[in-house]
Amino acid sequence: MNSKSMLYILKRVLLAILTVWVVITVTFFVMRAVPGGPFLSEKAVSEAAIAALEAKYGMDKPLFEQYLTYLTDIVTKLDFGPSLKQRGRDVIDVITDGLKVSAKLGVVAAICAAITGIVLGATAALRRNKIIDKIIMIVTTAFVSMPSFIMGSLLLLTLAVKFPIFPANGNAEGGLVLPIITLALYPTAYITRLTRSSMLDVLGQDYIRTAKAKGVAGFRIIFGHALKNSLIPVLTYFGPMLAYIVTGSLVMEKIFAVPGIGRAFVNSITSRDYPLIMGTTIVLATLIVIMNLITDILYKVVDPRINLE
Amino acid sequence: MKKILALILALVMSLSLVACGGGESAEGEGDAAAATSLAVCLASEPDTLDPALNSAVDGATMIAHLFSGLAKWSQDANGNLVIVADAAEELVEGVANEDGTVTYTYTLRDGLKWSDGKDVTAGDFVFAWNRAASPALAGDYNYMFDVVKGYAEMWETDEAGETFVNPDAKLAVEATDDKTLVVTLSNAVAYWNELLAFPTYMPVREDVVGNEAWATDPSTYICNGAYTITSWEHNSVITLEKNTNYVDADKVTLDKLECYLSDDSNNMLTNFQNGSWLMIDDVPTNEIPNLKANSGNEFVVTGQIGTYYVCWNVNEEILPASSTLTGAEAEAAKAEIRNAIGLLFDRNYIADQIGQAGQVPASSFVAMGMTNPDGTQFYQTAGDNAEFDGYYNVAADAYEANFNSAIETLKKYYTFDEATGMFTDFPSMTYLYNTSDGHKAIGEYLAGALAAVGITMNLENQEWNTFLNTRKNGDYSIARNGWLADYNDPICFLDMWTTVSGNNDIQYGKGAHADLAMYDMDLTAFGYDIVVEDGTWSETYDVLISTIKACTDNEVRYQLMHYAEDMLMATGCVVPLYYYTDIYMIDDSINGFFCNPLGYKYFMYCTIG
Repeated sequence: MNSKSMLYILKRVLLAILTVWVVITVTFFVMRAVPGGPFLSEKAVSEAAIAALEAKYGMDKPLFEQYLTYLTDIVTKLDFGPSLKQRGRDVIDVITDGLKVSAKLGVVAAICAAITGIVLGATAALRRNKIIDKIIMIVTTAFVSMPSFIMGSLLLLTLAVKFPIFPANGNAEGGLVLPIITLALYPTAYITRLTRSSMLDVLGQDYIRTAKAKGVAGFRIIFGHALKNSLIPVLTYFGPMLAYIVTGSLVMEKIFAVPGIGRAFVNSITSRDYPLIMGTTIVLATLIVIMNLITDILYKVVDPRINLE
Repeated sequence: MKKILALILALVMSLSLVACGGGESAEGEGDAAAATSLAVCLASEPDTLDPALNSAVDGATMIAHLFSGLAKWSQDANGNLVIVADAAEELVEGVANEDGTVTYTYTLRDGLKWSDGKDVTAGDFVFAWNRAASPALAGDYNYMFDVVKGYAEMWETDEAGETFVNPDAKLAVEATDDKTLVVTLSNAVAYWNELLAFPTYMPVREDVVGNEAWATDPSTYICNGAYTITSWEHNSVITLEKNTNYVDADKVTLDKLECYLSDDSNNMLTNFQNGSWLMIDDVPTNEIPNLKANSGNEFVVTGQIGTYYVCWNVNEEILPASSTLTGAEAEAAKAEIRNAIGLLFDRNYIADQIGQAGQVPASSFVAMGMTNPDGTQFYQTAGDNAEFDGYYNVAADAYEANFNSAIETLKKYYTFDEATGMFTDFPSMTYLYNTSDGHKAIGEYLAGALAAVGITMNLENQEWNTFLNTRKNGDYSIARNGWLADYNDPICFLDMWTTVSGNNDIQYGKGAHADLAMYDMDLTAFGYDIVVEDGTWSETYDVLISTIKACTDNEVRYQLMHYAEDMLMATGCVVPLYYYTDIYMIDDSINGFFCNPLGYKYFMYCTIG
């Protein structure tokens, strides 16, 4: 890797850090500007009690001072503070618990989508206009057009209620199977279509004809030349796919009662659990920024012709 | 390049294998469930299982299984709910002191143990009660101790209301020895035994709760009730298993209770229908008619002490622009108008067609289920009408008469177009509710009912926490509201309307209403030398509530509470719609289950089959 690439990567990393800082700052102040507060409840506690709680959590200080303290704690100690609602628990524990489950759900769904999508897409391209291609295209068109919450509800109704093969709650044994399938369907269909069109494009290129003319084995043509070169567009989809999986899993966690980070995120907002809102936002934002960064860098690795500037 | 690609592919494949493998091993963990194990779902992850901090019904249910206080809820031989002694040998009568305070002396039973084997002492109760009541902890339910002497001193603040003047104040509760607990109440309290069974009154041990995270981890969760927590997968499932150190362990029939955590009622129903969970505490609102028709005994509707109502902002201007009334006269007119508008709503329609869950049309603010000292229903003796219960007649056939009388009243203040049957100069208002399909449906009905007589009421919904803030600050004209009782005493519906109360959403005694000297109060008939003519809200209602709280004669006390509700209802700011019900689903195979009027569920004496 030359110095130009290194400089590019360094720039991108700095930009990523800047992005996360902007997210932290905007979230911090917008969150506090929203009406309501963590200590409000239907059975109101007295003003004095609320004041006592605010003092306990340092919320009685000026907002900007709280912001600086928060930033310092994050940078120097990676300390996200205590949860205001789940008293006695630290934000980092709540996030770790949720992230373990969400990561399992997301990573497995992404891998399933990538493998299945590439295999189906390549198959469809190689059997172009045959019956198998037609079937694959019809099915993937359906999955691309169908929102995941409908797919999730349908799977729940058929495979968990009518024919209870899988449990309906994400906590039980095998409970992650249905959410993973639901989450993976859309990206699978998308990758299939992407791979198919990209592969058809590559198969029509001169170098494939040259390879055939030279008598290179069909296996080598497909895996060594066609597939490899048709994966670049697919790679560009990985960033958006991750974003889809992160946001899509919020819906999935609700439908299937999966104890993931999405639930912690949504609940923290409705209950104004400020430290938890900050913690989950930072983690999710960092995750997306990092994945986009990796995707960008991978372009260069896969196709050296891409001009990084 | 080829190598890199091959490497990536290999990595991806091996990763997916690992991932699949992980899934399979997790599936293998589940052992066949023992016969006396029960899987239920009450709600989502509880915010806390610390008895002093909990204010949620699902948390209270779990705490009732985990802790043993001086008293507990139980079912007698006839299936009636009763409060019986638990950790105390008996629920003694109080001894009245000369200054009006009442002292109770309890003896703890022999053999009381914490789940780690240590003895439960009277000192543990003293510590726990002082902790739960203290400003330092500031739990939602600290005010449950306001009947105990010393509580008022604990919470006394300076003029600004910012600092506590008695940081070292303690409740009047002491342990004379390890087995004797002496507590003094400011005055006689009819519902004292009920308080003793309330989660906030459960004992905790000082060395246990010293660790602030004690109630979040099974290994540090030391309790003294029928069960202990053996595992807590956050947001997933809390497993309770029988506590062998519990003094009545031989009477507990259910060995294991798995409380699954879900915040989605559709998901709960799915799991109930496929047999994974045998009891769920919530169902989707739109499924209620279907479940009621097809689920037989499994769909249960039971009473709950609470009222769903609409509240007005007392300072909202509703008189027509042409009105010349000001001050007390204007407020008297507004009270009459608000009461009339309350009669335009068909509560039977709301309960039967919108609620559809057995809700009872309400004619008073203090909810059905609250009883007088003689056991009769408080709401049936409210108001002064012999023909019906409460403040107006909610019978279906009385609606037309109510409607007509309301129109006549409104005609006094507004221009009525006889041709169209519409009022033409009623200022438009906005109805505020928190985002939910159920509240929305009711809001739409209310707006429709008013639109039929020419009154425009727009609808505005806000997300829960914002809504609470808006309503609390009085930034609304008319809003959805609801109140669930914490104990069987009408005072918990009445003391929330004092000027300084944190729940005074109506804004009584605040803003312009603070200076309106228009309320009369005469308590001489009850033996008090208190007569106020043309007093402000704080000079009348606030004084009345503190008189009730200090009253030691139970008969008089209930009469005073009726008097207070009369005053409240006369303002027309509270428009009760229906009394709440509690809905849950429970599998036919479960016996020995019961539920108390506060909505706590009891599983310890359940058998399955």
